[in-house]
Amino acid sequence: MSLEQELRRALRRTDPASGFDDRVLSRIAAGDTVRVLQTQSRWARFSLPIAASLMLAAGAGYYAQYQQQQQTAARAQQAYAERAAREVVLALQIASETVSAAQAKVEEITRYEPTNDY
Amino acid sequence: MEMLTAAASVHTPAPSGDELLAEARAGSDNAFAALVREHQAMVFGLAYHFLQSRAQAEELAQDVFLALHQNLARVESARHLVFWLRRVTSNRCIDSVRSVQRRRELPIDELHEPAVPARVSDPLLGELLRTLVAELTPDARMVVTLRFQEDLDLSEIAAITDMPVNTVKSHLRRSMDALRRKLADRGHVYES
Repeated sequence: MSLEQELRRALRRTDPASGFDDRVLSRIAAGDTVRVLQTQSRWARFSLPIAASLMLAAGAGYYAQYQQQQQTAARAQQAYAERAAREVVLALQIASETVSAAQAKVEEITRYEPTNDY
Repeated sequence: MEMLTAAASVHTPAPSGDELLAEARAGSDNAFAALVREHQAMVFGLAYHFLQSRAQAEELAQDVFLALHQNLARVESARHLVFWLRRVTSNRCIDSVRSVQRRRELPIDELHEPAVPARVSDPLLGELLRTLVAELTPDARMVVTLRFQEDLDLSEIAAITDMPVNTVKSHLRRSMDALRRKLADRGHVYES
């Protein structure tokens, strides 16, 4: 005999002690009631975790978006600072070149300028 | 005339489940008692195999029929009645174990060996099987009980217990593997 057949024999329907129907009817006649279990549907059972997960996911998404915005702003600020620095360097280079040119001109004039030394 | 009446009463077919249900809904105690007698072995059997106590099974089964009496208006047909009784019994059994925490739940691999001789005769094998089934986790125990007491298929068990079919399948497979292993340790080898 297979295990399935043995289980069917071992777990077959079982009658309660005689007079079961009378005992049930007696309780009904006595006005006895039972708490009716609120059987939750699968959707109801999982709705709270699903709602919590959705809220968590929405919060995480919002935070990621905020972080991205912050990073974009920081990158823009950094790019602006770098451009400003480059422009300052360029300005300094131009100024330096202008000063060098002026200095060279002065030196040239000074070299050929007649003196009163003789 | 009396003979004719008697003959007619002998040949009067017993009321069908739907007729009994309609009469019970209309307030007939006799019809309700007939419904109780018709389904008491199913309800009591499920509770008894799950709880392993006749006293607790009796109380739970009575509660199920009291709940039925309170909810007769919601039961649509005899077929629905069977589903309703199985579902309420199943829920109450699992709820009673979870709320009272009557026994410590063990992982399926940690089931202790019942103290029975290595070679057992058939009645003892039945007792051994009931003992092993009673030590499964509540969900697995109810799946196995519904499968073998009521001979239900996986989708029917899933509908009653409100579990996904794959979960039912997994409970059944793991329970059967564990039972085979435990029985093999006792010299009862069953092919899977």
